[in-house]
Amino acid sequence: MGASHITQEQADEYAIGSLDAPLERAIRLHIAECSSCREVVREAEALANMVGLAAPLRRAPARMKKQVYRNAGLTRPSPMRRMFTISRAAAGLAAVVVAIAAFTGMVSIKGQMDELKDDNADLQTQINDALSQRVELAAVTQQLEDTRQAAADLQEASKTDRELMLALLSPSSDILAVTAPGEATNSIGRLVWDEEQKRLWFMATQLQQRPGETYQLWAQSGGRYFSLGTFEPDESGFARYERVIPEGLAGYDTVVVTIERGAGSPVREGPTVFFVSSLNLGPN
Amino acid sequence: MAWQSNPESSGIRNISNPVELASASAVDMASRAEWSDEVLMLAIANQDQLAFAVLYDRYVDLVYSASYRVLSDAQLAEDSAQDVFVRLWTRPETFISERGRFVSWLMSVTRNRAVDELRARGRRRKREGGSLGEPDEAAEPLFQGEPEDPQLNAELHEEQAAVRRALRSIPHEQRVALELAYFNGLTQQEIAAHLHEPLGTVKTRIRLGMQKLRRTLQEEV
Repeated sequence: MGASHITQEQADEYAIGSLDAPLERAIRLHIAECSSCREVVREAEALANMVGLAAPLRRAPARMKKQVYRNAGLTRPSPMRRMFTISRAAAGLAAVVVAIAAFTGMVSIKGQMDELKDDNADLQTQINDALSQRVELAAVTQQLEDTRQAAADLQEASKTDRELMLALLSPSSDILAVTAPGEATNSIGRLVWDEEQKRLWFMATQLQQRPGETYQLWAQSGGRYFSLGTFEPDESGFARYERVIPEGLAGYDTVVVTIERGAGSPVREGPTVFFVSSLNLGPN
Repeated sequence: MAWQSNPESSGIRNISNPVELASASAVDMASRAEWSDEVLMLAIANQDQLAFAVLYDRYVDLVYSASYRVLSDAQLAEDSAQDVFVRLWTRPETFISERGRFVSWLMSVTRNRAVDELRARGRRRKREGGSLGEPDEAAEPLFQGEPEDPQLNAELHEEQAAVRRALRSIPHEQRVALELAYFNGLTQQEIAAHLHEPLGTVKTRIRLGMQKLRRTLQEEV
């Protein structure tokens, strides 16, 4: 899955359970790290699981409950035992009430019973309140965690912006115009190479989102093309891609961007949408 | 503030002992029957057996029905549904309310458990040669007069009805593709082979089916 995000179509296919095992595993790994894709997949899963509600309703066998309780290690009090327990509790309560009445001679049994009922109801209300508040507390805790994550994301974005700004200002950087072959697109782009940071940035506008395909950056060196990774534009068509220049590459004669199928290609196959010529990156 | 009087996570048990909430009285069951699924799960995490009993009664038919729809076998469906509820009691922490609704999680657990069973027993091959996607209507009777059933709450019934309406509104071939994936655990490749259709056609049907289902259910809401 790499750095690219999961499309709605992929999320739907994953949620309904129709993907092959390798792709399903790749998505599972990706959403473990990507919160935005995780949200997309969760929404799709919620939708897919609605299909389960449409199963024709059947009555579960009554014996199942006994089996479940046994397998779960639970005890189901029998009706006789329940009756015995209640009777014993009632007898004890009656004895206490009679004793109190005997001592005071003033309090009615009914009044005592009502008070006990009220106390019980109050306690029940407190339990309900406590449970509700635990749910709310858990939600607030999750919100705090989300906020903390968002702040960390912003901090990371700020750091990468600062690095790009330094590259743009550095006298040792090359800032090159990126051109599209033909005039089929109004995209404009720049390639920034910073010798000090040993990093490349590629930026372009008005790119199309391509379900099932991806943009891939290539560096040509010594007549061979080396993949520098894949990227996808955001919803506005803007793409900003950054990576460390691989140490194994001695230099670059040119850099191109192609459109490749799926999550990218090990060899350059797709059509070229951008190229940079006369690029002098690093020592040749 | 009520929270101050019940600050501990174990408060359910601590409070219940003096007033004997653990006894299976009708009053206790009735009060829990009004709790939401999420609150019941919290109580189950605190070993509240009555909460488990309420949740079991609320969803047992739904879980069994979905299991049966996947497995087309009453005994296998019963075993699978049992496992779902045993897991619900033994591992309630696997449900995290912030990640979504309880019923969605329950359906996910039910479906995955049943599909695992289906695959483990090699029943899929048998079904591919038979009535794949259209479960065998065996001995277990369908509900009669569902809406009046007091065991299921009105909200759940309304939701089930909405989903059925939404699925009926989807073109037949798209609905079949979704159901083969969800209920039969088939991948797109397997669905294409079963239907003798190109893989691209199956992908399109699933994509359009999910889009339509999403749109229709949003309109229903």
